[in-house]
This record gives sequence, C-alpha cells and structure tokens, in this order.
Amino acid sequence: MLEVRNLHASVDGKDILKGLTLTVKPGEVHAIMGPNGSGKSTLSNVLAGRPGYQITAGDVLYEGKPLAEMETEERARAGIFLAFQYPVEIPGVSNMEFLKASLEAVRSAQGKEPLDAVTLLRRAREACQHVNLDQQFLKRGVNEGFSGGEKKRNEIMQMMLLEPKLALLDETDSGLDIDALQVVAKGVNALRSPERAIVLVTHYQRLLDYIVPDHVHVLADGKIIKSGGKELALELEQKGYGWLTGEEESA
Amino acid sequence: MTPAEQLKDSVLTLAHATQRDDTLTSLRRHAVEQLKVLPFPDKKQEAWKYTGLHALTAGQLNQPATMLQHSAQFPALGDCVIVIGNGFLPAQLPDLPAGLSATTFSSATPSDKSISDEHPDTLFGWLNNASLNDGLLLKTERNQKVAAVVHVVFFNHSDTPCHAANRLQVELAEGSELTLIEHYIGSGPILANALTRIQAGPNSRITHYRLQSEAADTLHIGNLQIDQQRDSYVDSSQLMRGNVLRRNDIHVRLLESGAELSMRGVFIARDQSHIDNHINVEHVAAHCPSNQIYKGIAGEKGRAVFNGRIHIHPYAKGSDASLSNNNMLLSRDAEIDSKPELEIYNDDVKCAHGTTVGQMDAAQLFYLRSRGIDEAKAKRMLGTGFVNETLLAMHDDSVRDWAIDWLGEAL
Repeated sequence: MLEVRNLHASVDGKDILKGLTLTVKPGEVHAIMGPNGSGKSTLSNVLAGRPGYQITAGDVLYEGKPLAEMETEERARAGIFLAFQYPVEIPGVSNMEFLKASLEAVRSAQGKEPLDAVTLLRRAREACQHVNLDQQFLKRGVNEGFSGGEKKRNEIMQMMLLEPKLALLDETDSGLDIDALQVVAKGVNALRSPERAIVLVTHYQRLLDYIVPDHVHVLADGKIIKSGGKELALELEQKGYGWLTGEEESA
Repeated sequence: MTPAEQLKDSVLTLAHATQRDDTLTSLRRHAVEQLKVLPFPDKKQEAWKYTGLHALTAGQLNQPATMLQHSAQFPALGDCVIVIGNGFLPAQLPDLPAGLSATTFSSATPSDKSISDEHPDTLFGWLNNASLNDGLLLKTERNQKVAAVVHVVFFNHSDTPCHAANRLQVELAEGSELTLIEHYIGSGPILANALTRIQAGPNSRITHYRLQSEAADTLHIGNLQIDQQRDSYVDSSQLMRGNVLRRNDIHVRLLESGAELSMRGVFIARDQSHIDNHINVEHVAAHCPSNQIYKGIAGEKGRAVFNGRIHIHPYAKGSDASLSNNNMLLSRDAEIDSKPELEIYNDDVKCAHGTTVGQMDAAQLFYLRSRGIDEAKAKRMLGTGFVNETLLAMHDDSVRDWAIDWLGEAL
C-alpha cells in the first residue's frame, strides 16, 4: 500500500529525513517511535503533502503511484488521512459544514454517492458518540475552543467518517489523559481491517498498550535504525532511546 | 481647471439644473448656497486620502437621472416593500404595517421640520439636498412595535452616466421598535448619492440593515447619519461588495445617556473594485455603550479603506466604546488601508480599538485540503468563515441566509 524508499526530505532547506525506508501493507498497523527531532512529524507531513516539506531524494509510492505527483487534496481523496499532531482551529466554519465538504469531496472522488443530509448527520452523531464527543461540537467552529483532548478526538471522529485506506496518526496520544487515550484507541481499533493500514507516529510506548502494532520502527536522525515486533516497544520503554542511538554509535 | 475644480463645476451645474418650484424649493436652494463654498474632495484632504473620485469624470455629475420605466428584481427579504427608482418615489406608497406611517418629503407637513433642520455632513450630502427629487419619510408610532420587516429598495439604473439622489429618513417615536432593510441595487454607470438619516427617539429600538449589492459598474457615495436619544438601541449591519467606487460616511451621535449602538459590517473588494468606509461614532452623553465590528476582504486588485473614529466628548463619562476591524488580503496586489482613531476628552471611559490585516492562514488551508477539499473551495470556506462571525450576529434569518450566499459568491 505504502512504499517509502530511501526518502530524503527537507523543511525550510534543512534536511530532516535522510534515507528512510518503510513498507506498509494493507491490514497492518505500524508504530513509528523516536525521540524528539528524529523526523517523525516530518514523515507524516511529507506523506500528507504539507507545503514547505520537500522530498529531495528517494520515492514514496502509494498504491503504486508516486505520491509527490499528487496534490494534498488528491491524496486525501485517494484514501490517505492524517490525524494532526496539532489540529487547526477554524473559527466561523462549523465542524458539520467542514465534515460535509470533506465527505462530499472524498466520496465523489471514490465514485460514491453523496450522503443525504439526514444520513450525514446520523453518521456524524454516531462518530461523535464513538469518541465521547458531545454532539454540540458539530455545530461549533472547527476545533474552536476545543481542549487538547477534544481536538484529538475530533480527528479520530473525522477519520471514522472518512474511512481512509491509510491512516497516519501523528502523535495523537501526546498530551492525552488515560481515559482520552482509551477513547482514541477504541476508535482506531474499530477501524482496523484487512484492507486498511494504520501508521502510528508516537513518542510514548503507552499508546501501544491499547493499540497493538504489528510492526514497530525506531526513527532516529531521519532514518529507521531498528524494526521489530510489538516487543520492541516494551524494550524501548525499559531502556529508553539512548540504548538504540548509543548502539548505533558503537556499531 | 484641475479635475477637482471641473467636478465642482459639474456639481454646481447639476444643483442648478435640478432646481424647481415645489415644497422642497427652499431645501434645495439652501443646499446650493452651501455647495458654492464647500471644496470638492481631493486626496489632499485626510478623509479622501485613499479614495480618488476620478471615476466621476465619466460624467455622473453632469446629468440628473430620469425616471425608470422598468421594475427591479430583488430578493424577498421583508414583508413590506417600497421601491424607489432613480430617486423617484412611487406614485402610490404601499399599505403599511400597523405602527408605521410613510410620507414623501414633498408632501410632509411643515411640522416635519427635521427634514430641513439637520445639516448633511458632506458635500455629497448637500448635493443630495440640492438635487433632491423627493425623499421617503418613515415614522413609527409611540410605544408600538412594527411587526413587519420593512424593505426599502433603492433601484438605480442608467445606461449613461448620471446622478440619482436617494433619500430616506426614519423617525422612531419614543418606545417604538422597527426592523428596516435599506437595500441598494441596480446597474450601469449611475452614481447613487444616498443619504439616510435615522432618528432614534427615547427608548426606541431599530434593527437596521444597509445592503449594497449594485452591479460592479455602478457608483455609490452614501451618508448614513444616526442620532440616538435617551436609552435608544440601534443595531445596524452594513454589507457590501465592491464596485467602481463605493464610499460610505457613517456618522452616529449618542446624544443622551443610555443610548446603545451595535454596528457591524462586511466589505468584500474583488477584481478592480474600491470600497471606502468612513465611520465616526460620537459619544456626546454619558453612559452610552457602542460596539463596532467590521470585517474586510480584498482580492485581485481590489482596494478597501476603513477609517473608524470614536470621539468621546468631555461630558461623556462612563462611555464604553469598542471598535475592531479585521481584514484579509487574498492576493499580492490587493490593498486594505485601515485606520482606527480614538479621541477621548475625559478619563472615565472604557475604550478599545484594534485593527488587523492578514492573509489567509496557510495552516487552516492545509487542514481543509488534507481532508480532500480542493484549494478553491477551501479558500471560499475560509473567507466565509472569516466573515461568518459577523453575519451570524445578525438577527433576521432571511437577511442572514441571503447575505451568506451573496457574500459567498464573492469569495
């Protein structure tokens, strides 16, 4: 589904990713872990197509097509979803209006009928319920005045409605209390399916107690320096990132 | 002769040409005398620094508008509709809702001295007086709420350059309530010279909309003067899209204590259009709150000017005044000049003013696009979102829904 080969990327002329290679197949859940500044967020932003994030070398293929040739909105329509580390507040645009525009765009690109107003509202309410978000949030401006946890749950709510093929969660767990974390994890787990791939970018192992990954990768200085199964996360939790970055130095 | 002198010459010729013998003769004559001594606006005057009147050299001031033969198309926003074409009042005024009466200036009784007693603020206000065909005078009855929404449509149209004086006067009797939509429509190179005066009597309330939706080739220079007496409440919304030339001078006087003003506005200047709003709110009396929120958007080579002045007089203790003007630029060549002014002559006041000019937020744009929304639509959503806060504060659903669509078209 996603094929990242020797990816080099820069932000504002500064090289952040320095030869990252990663293969994600449908049905898999990958966790990408790493210390601050290792390039985790850069990876998710490059994949979503944020302006200013330049691919300088290497390839990223999504369903066999080069991602670099697709606009941000085309990627979303092709089934890529990024749950933002810092969801953006848009006062004046209601959450419902936003969801409607987004669903219309994504569904029509996928050859699906637009949802009628009643069905859309019902689905949005169900998704809200699923992530413990009061339905009043649908009427409010997008993320406007939401707490950190509410913003993250709003991201998961959108993800549930958009039913992406490839979901990228950029530090969705950061700053959440355990209850909120469980809500987010429940939402993500509900989306796990053989057709869908999920990439969790996280700083903390804690999230992986609730969403059990198939693969864990450690990112340091713009490269994946170690990959393994879910037990790698536990090892990291015990030994810290220094264990790996140190290992690399002595190798 | 300089262009300004030539235009001044046209003003006087026009003023003379429109003189005739009827009940309004003395009003016109007096105005002509005033026009003789008033200078024609040019960019050397602070109030006209950013707005040139070269568009008027096409000849709008050389010819008075003639009566229109065809009827206007406009959205149904109110319950009681009065259409005024090129400044000519209908031969018969429609049936009016309970609590409201309407007369023409020319048929008003001599006791309606307010028409001639008050002086216009500007040269164009005097020109409105000097060339006035007729004006509409609306009066509410004491302690009555006018249940119907009154929709006064000023329809100005001409295929050749000309000048139309549009005139409305509203007098709210003590304790009365009114919802009024003042709506400018039309097309062609006609100059709508609009003068509206609202006198809010003690304890009266008005919800006022001033909608300016003429075609891009029409010109509009307008004056809105609001005088508020004790404990009156004025809620005024002013919405406009740009055209060749649009200038509004809005002057509110809070004359007696307890008078409250809430004003908001949205102006959108796209393509080559020009919009200038000059606002002056005077706190003459003590204990008056005023609140103003204006939002502007300029795109392509659009140009918008905003000047908001709050003037707190020495006896206006306990004044609470705020003014904000936030603007969004959509392109490199667009320009918005915003200037808030505070003049405070006593120290027992609460005053806040602020102005911002920014671009569309890149992070917001990316967020929408990352959800599959194409760039053009995302920009439109953000533009609408930017002005929505102001539109949602408007009371009447019919105007609000229409305005959201109509302004959305310009984004």
